[in-house]
Amino acid sequence: MTHQPYLYDQQALLGLLTPLLITQLQEKGLAWLQQQQAKALISEGFQQWNLTFVALPRHAGKQTVVLADDQLAAMARLVPGFTPRHWPADRLARAWWLLQWPAASQEAYVRSISTLFHTGSMEELTALYSCLPLLAWPESWVAQTAEGIRSNIGDVLEAIMLHNPYPARYLPVPAWNQLVLKAFFTGKPVVEITGLQERNNPDLQQMLHDYAAERKAAGRTVDPQLSLLASQVLL
Amino acid sequence: MCCNPLSEQSLQPQAQEPLYLDKIKGMRFFDPHVHMTSRTTDDYQAMADAGVAAIIEPSFWLGQPRTGVDTFKDYFSSLVGWERFRASQFGIKHYCTIGLNSKEANNEALAEQVMEVLPLFMYKEGVVGIGEIGFDDQTALEEKYYRAQLNLAREAGLPVQIHTPHRDKKRGTQRSMDIALEHGLDPKMVIVDHNNEETVQEVLDRGFWAAFTIYPFTKMGNERMVALVKQYGSERIMVNSAADWGISDPLAVPKTAALMHESGIDLNDIHLVTYRNAITAFAQSGQINEADWESAAVVDQREKFNGSSILRGGQQPRVDKHNKIIR
Repeated sequence: MTHQPYLYDQQALLGLLTPLLITQLQEKGLAWLQQQQAKALISEGFQQWNLTFVALPRHAGKQTVVLADDQLAAMARLVPGFTPRHWPADRLARAWWLLQWPAASQEAYVRSISTLFHTGSMEELTALYSCLPLLAWPESWVAQTAEGIRSNIGDVLEAIMLHNPYPARYLPVPAWNQLVLKAFFTGKPVVEITGLQERNNPDLQQMLHDYAAERKAAGRTVDPQLSLLASQVLL
Repeated sequence: MCCNPLSEQSLQPQAQEPLYLDKIKGMRFFDPHVHMTSRTTDDYQAMADAGVAAIIEPSFWLGQPRTGVDTFKDYFSSLVGWERFRASQFGIKHYCTIGLNSKEANNEALAEQVMEVLPLFMYKEGVVGIGEIGFDDQTALEEKYYRAQLNLAREAGLPVQIHTPHRDKKRGTQRSMDIALEHGLDPKMVIVDHNNEETVQEVLDRGFWAAFTIYPFTKMGNERMVALVKQYGSERIMVNSAADWGISDPLAVPKTAALMHESGIDLNDIHLVTYRNAITAFAQSGQINEADWESAAVVDQREKFNGSSILRGGQQPRVDKHNKIIR
């Protein structure tokens, strides 16, 4: 178990995100956010943190934030595999807000972030799962990630499955295998799964093999991407 | 219950699109009150085919009382989560209103807990009002929580969607409006729902929005609706289906538009009562942007999910209901 909230330099990441966020916000939005920040930092409990997390899209907007390659590289140096290449501004703003969430107490942190998951809208869930690699107390989010893979909301699944380094690093084999299988079942571009080859395993290959056989027995097509992981699958 | 005996003909499957769809081809509709949680995906498909571009799902009673706050919380979450996604699969933009309905306001211990979680949801994206709230039996507890939620709406600057009671309707409607004014709400922020011939005049005279629910047997019929629009015009009037778990019709708005068209009502008036007025009223929340559903169809393709079959770009997961073969 880890005994510090973050296993990466979260202040440095915050330092990279802050100027990005400023370019995305109108003057009014920036003033609002600074005010929310000041209020949250002196507040008791998490209500102020919750409300700001929920209301952020009103001020940040949904335009795609285009990041330069060197900006992406700098982020990936801090959090390996983290590449927010096509994020909307509100998701980036939510990431920035989450990085400041009080994290000293693991119990309080996990409880409050779990509340966000349990009451999340489609867009909030997408943001939260996209931010898994940034959350404090990283080992605490394994069950939540497995739960997210059970979702049938397309954007939520993509947020977990694609370009997200958290699952490959933290999920145990059974949950990882479910992630990959579900990506095939829901037609995701599996080559965009971070750690796809590194986490390949015999159990997964057996499942993919059976899956291909089942598809063929039903007279349905077999995804040619299956052969990336299970070379013995006959297409 | 009904006066319409089934004939052999009415039991035959429909081989073609119904004729009324021709009359409203190219028109777009906004149904500001429909409980899609209780409806099937077939309904979403039919609504999209009939031109329904966006809908509002008010929070309501699920047919039996809930016994704990967590089921309320999960219900509210589903309105901004799963149901929003389900609608998007058909290119329909899904908004909702959040509130404690009048029936369940009568369980005071539970109502107190529900009031505590409401702020978690009312500021969320796509939440366009507090609703549906108001009176059912017109008890003291219903009044207490109606008032409390009016205060929440006023503080948040959100429109209010009022459910007017079935029983003692006229006085219940008057009382709902009196109380809203007493709490300092601007009538233009309040949509009074489930009107009829007996309530509409006063609702309009006092500056509120008047919504009509086209719902067989118990609420408004669409022939009566045609007569009402002929009499009262289209200002501050809107039509909805309130389709739910009862015998109701999620196509009530497009069908009513077709009937209005057939009855010679001006196209602009039809547009106002089946689309524009509802948007104007609920957009006061700051949470409606028409570009949202213009882009919905594009986003939709990427989000599409279809059980165990794999979709390729542009492919519709559409089932031909008239085909005997299922693959």
